[in-house]
Amino acid sequence: MSFHNANSIAAAAAAQQQGQRVRIAVHNWQNATMQDLLNFVSRNARVGLTEPKVEGAVLMAYAPSRDQAMDVLKWNGANFAGNKLRFEIVGDPNGPNNGSGGSTVEFLRQVLLSRYDPQARMLNLGSLAQDPMMVQKGMFNSPSTQARMFPALLKVASREPQLQSVQSVNLADNGLRDITTIGSLAQTFPDLRNLCLANNQIGRLNALEAWKNKFKHLRELLMTNNQVTGNSMYRSEMMRIFPKLAILDNVMVRDAQRLDAIFTFPLKLQQFHFDNDQLAQTSTQFVTNFLNCWDSPNRCAQLLPLYTPQSQFSVCADTSVPPSTARDADQNPAFGFYVPHSRNINKVSSEKTLEQRLATGQEQIATAFRQLPASRHALQQDPQGYAMQTIEYPQVNGFMVVLHGYFEETAKPELEQQSSSSGNKYNNRGRRNNNSHSNNPASNRLSKKSFDRTWVVVPMNGSFIIASDILVVRTYTGNTWSEPAPVPVPTPVAAPVPGGIAPGGIAPGGIAPVPGANVPIAAAIPAGALPPTLQLPPDVAARLTPIQLDLLTKLHLQTKLNAEYTYMLAEQSGWNYDNAVKGFQASAGNLPPNAFVQ
Amino acid sequence: MNYSGANTRQQPHITETFVQKVLAHLDDADETKLNNFLQLFSGSNPNAVVGAPAPAPPARIVFNGQRSTDAMAFLTLWNQQVVQTQHTLTALDYHVIPGSGTVVCNATAKVRFDESGRDKRGQDASVATPPGSAGSNGNNRSRGNNNNARQRQSWGPYFGISMQLVLDERVYRNDMHGVIHSLTYTMVYKPEDSLIDL
Repeated sequence: MSFHNANSIAAAAAAQQQGQRVRIAVHNWQNATMQDLLNFVSRNARVGLTEPKVEGAVLMAYAPSRDQAMDVLKWNGANFAGNKLRFEIVGDPNGPNNGSGGSTVEFLRQVLLSRYDPQARMLNLGSLAQDPMMVQKGMFNSPSTQARMFPALLKVASREPQLQSVQSVNLADNGLRDITTIGSLAQTFPDLRNLCLANNQIGRLNALEAWKNKFKHLRELLMTNNQVTGNSMYRSEMMRIFPKLAILDNVMVRDAQRLDAIFTFPLKLQQFHFDNDQLAQTSTQFVTNFLNCWDSPNRCAQLLPLYTPQSQFSVCADTSVPPSTARDADQNPAFGFYVPHSRNINKVSSEKTLEQRLATGQEQIATAFRQLPASRHALQQDPQGYAMQTIEYPQVNGFMVVLHGYFEETAKPELEQQSSSSGNKYNNRGRRNNNSHSNNPASNRLSKKSFDRTWVVVPMNGSFIIASDILVVRTYTGNTWSEPAPVPVPTPVAAPVPGGIAPGGIAPGGIAPVPGANVPIAAAIPAGALPPTLQLPPDVAARLTPIQLDLLTKLHLQTKLNAEYTYMLAEQSGWNYDNAVKGFQASAGNLPPNAFVQ
Repeated sequence: MNYSGANTRQQPHITETFVQKVLAHLDDADETKLNNFLQLFSGSNPNAVVGAPAPAPPARIVFNGQRSTDAMAFLTLWNQQVVQTQHTLTALDYHVIPGSGTVVCNATAKVRFDESGRDKRGQDASVATPPGSAGSNGNNRSRGNNNNARQRQSWGPYFGISMQLVLDERVYRNDMHGVIHSLTYTMVYKPEDSLIDL
């Protein structure tokens, strides 16, 4: 929202009150039907879009009001049918793209920055009515303009990068009767720790109700000189609305340490667990090579030798939809390729069906593999996207690997459901349990999925036997063990490796353990286990995943580049070993002598 | 396949019932039932007596990627430091591993936490209000942190979990004692609007 001056604020308010409809463009929705999209918006944003019309790759529609259009825009980036939806307001006279109002936005920005103390991380918005700049601009000419000023100010604040670290906000002496005009403070600064509303005119106990549970980190609230503080329920109500409030009006109301103990989960997530160093090395290699083969065009040919007549494989579809507040959660997942084969005993009750959906031996397992979509994992390009646990399994003289992560479906299954006319028991089974998932184009679209995969592995004669392989496919979501942050890069002392890195997949490798191979796996291995010539700064090494350290070690041994150049090479190649080696071969002649181990 | 006399027809039902039982134990705030849960884990016999046969190897427990020293340590931590939970099973599959006497179970579930600000015993972090202090008005003092444990929970949004169990095949013969050889439990997604810091 942008405002030219106080008059335009009033005009914008009037336009809103008239319920003027707003035109919205929707991008990245094409994997589903238009009705799917409208249902999605209706269900999640609670807005009924009208007059939908497809214009090329974009769907145009109208929201009944600007407020409702803004509700729709909150779903920007939501996962829908395998893509991230993008909404934008178009042709809106009050929109940000009409060229007007820029000066007011800049004015408000200057007000904000002049009142921000970056060292204390405090934004002082107290006594705004006495601010000469604000008065001169006419922001307090009438109650109406004043009412529109706070939302505009907070909107500008939410877009200002310098204000993203605000921890304290002072809103004292602003004549506030409730939080109607400052309600969006919770969206602008959800991580706020200290808030001052002193010397206002807040009288009703439920005046702050809209903020219930919105400030998840608010520790201190100052409300002195508001009528509401005299209410007998005041203290308990403030504690209810702000669940982590520790200090109210300079009085301790909760024990902060105990608050932390109650609201902090005691077992912090660790991305990797290996029972011992040897398992770390063996299982990481196993998983990396297995998934390379799994993603290759000849999945069966490469992997079937690992399965015996007694080996078992099954796929299990968890079709539940995570809450929309889970990062990147797909709110319209498609499981049509999996449900007809799913051995989810929480959903399938027929014993016969369950028995039939358990693939035993190479022939059935090959069929089962071919009934699943082709896929692409990103274990090396995005190692933060995967978590892994490996524990010993003494009853089979082997180990169990559990891998959590995601994959992209890249092609439909080699064997479609309808093609099961060969008489194979595995192909023909469970027909009566197939529901609409199997033939519905919308549920058969290719998309990104999260998964958990559990292998029981027995090392044998220099190779592996897979005794059990359970693949759980679930709705795609961001994970818990990583934040969407790039891997930090050390400061280079010389020019990066010249020459482009050729795109290309990971060459499928054979599945074989490499006893004694010099491939340390970091999380379970002390830093000293890295080759002595690959000395990474401790803080850098600590941030790398075992798979990344594994890759660095391999690259270092292969190229003889020093630690810094090895890191740059890996980084530039997207943590893909084959790409990195190709890049190195293309540019080795141009590298300075000090790029190599001396 | 070698099912060691287990009733194969009943296996899916028994497996699901057992996994539901584990989740119910995790959700149980009653400390007196801790031993019932503990007895399910291999190598954890709280009633062991001198002269009894050597216990089985302790169960491996890996929770959120962290290994617990033993079942007792894990359950004590879970009971004392995690607020009340509510698990719902969403998917389950299992394989009986021939010749090993074991079963591998792979479950996914969702879990939500009591976000009322109270621990499992119903105690919160509030401190007594001194008379005459701001907001006390003399009516709300000395509330302390002894709130009634039976107060209603305030359930937060759901987290996603992935859980693997390696069980002894004895579970199919109605023998639950020490059947859990290993438990791995990993939170795989989290809602951004939860009050719980993971």
